[in-house]
Amino acid sequence: MRILFAGDEHPYSEYALKETIKLAMNTWADVTLLGVGQATNPAEDAPVGRALRGYRDTFLNSWSREDSPYILGEGKYEWVPVKNGVVEEMKVLTGRKKDFKVRLRSGAPAREILSESQEDGSDLIVLGCAKGEKCEWANSLPAPQQVVDDADCSVLLVKEQQPVTRIVACLDQGYISQESLEMINQMITIHNARLDLIGLSQNGDMEKSVYTRLIEIGDYYSDRQVEINTRLMDISGFEQLIAQEIKQDLLALWLGKKSLLSRFFSRGWVGRFVSKCPTTVLVMR
Amino acid sequence: MNKLKIMVLDDEPIVCKRLKPALEKQGYEVDTFTQSSDAMEQIKNVNYDIIITDLKMKGVDGMQLLTEAKQLSPKTEVIVITGFATMETAKESFHKGVFDFIAKPFKLSEIQEVVSRAEAKIRGE
Repeated sequence: MRILFAGDEHPYSEYALKETIKLAMNTWADVTLLGVGQATNPAEDAPVGRALRGYRDTFLNSWSREDSPYILGEGKYEWVPVKNGVVEEMKVLTGRKKDFKVRLRSGAPAREILSESQEDGSDLIVLGCAKGEKCEWANSLPAPQQVVDDADCSVLLVKEQQPVTRIVACLDQGYISQESLEMINQMITIHNARLDLIGLSQNGDMEKSVYTRLIEIGDYYSDRQVEINTRLMDISGFEQLIAQEIKQDLLALWLGKKSLLSRFFSRGWVGRFVSKCPTTVLVMR
Repeated sequence: MNKLKIMVLDDEPIVCKRLKPALEKQGYEVDTFTQSSDAMEQIKNVNYDIIITDLKMKGVDGMQLLTEAKQLSPKTEVIVITGFATMETAKESFHKGVFDFIAKPFKLSEIQEVVSRAEAKIRGE
């Protein structure tokens, strides 16, 4: 698994970093810590640069030396591309077992985060955002929502530091990817959480493919001794569910072309629900 | 150069279905198993160069298979893939001599790259 943490210098990014560390501790994923400066040439002493250095220390110091898969080994010389057609021999320190990179990019945050995730082949982007109904970054207001809307991979949007005891996954389509199921598995394991699987219907009707999938997913988790509760609800009550029921929970939403939520709600519904949700949201693809 | 033999064990058929053609395309000979008990029997009869195994399975789990495989053939490189990763299982896997530990989801390229590294180690490159 490859995890891309995208952060700035504000407290919500520290919460997201903690979630990234928790994920990395369990999965031993390859990890990139990314900061984005708005200047064209981000200086080392820019706030986000300083924050990244702090995040790097916090990340690497979270393990005892003998347990860390990210301990840097002996340096070795490698040819590194520096500009078009030019490579330079540099001494590179590599991770002992897993990759760990710290990167600073310049430009519009959402665009740079999405580019990095594509170039790196990320399986998950983790980022924080301010609490409340705005879901913003301090220096680039719409960045979190843009990343959630346009990422190719799953996105974990961390709103604040709090325990997760339940994953609430809302199924609104017949097709879901194997990767998304696996992502939920990891979240269940990391948080030792139970799973509530909600099948969304419209006016009491549920597509046969969605119902079949709901049963299959229920069986899948039961076979793996995961505590699962399956129920149905009408899509008209979905916003109320988010506002009233989600407390110490992680809300998991599937994004897909055949999503009932996409048809029922106007464009931009993901951003709207992510904003309304008071807790961490996992948007799966 | 002789083809390396790889065993893939995962109780989810879709994982075997994805990995087999991807690894065969890389030039490996691949056997897949969805029942860990069958895989356990097989390693007593066939010497695999690389074993890719899930951890959480009914009956014999991946950790037991890893232990048995390394006892039978210490040179076999074992790669663990798991959907329910914990720090303890990661540490235990490495303690038992696993070549790499990969949490799901992963991209095929990630597995292919790890298998290539395992091959390089086996061939002494």
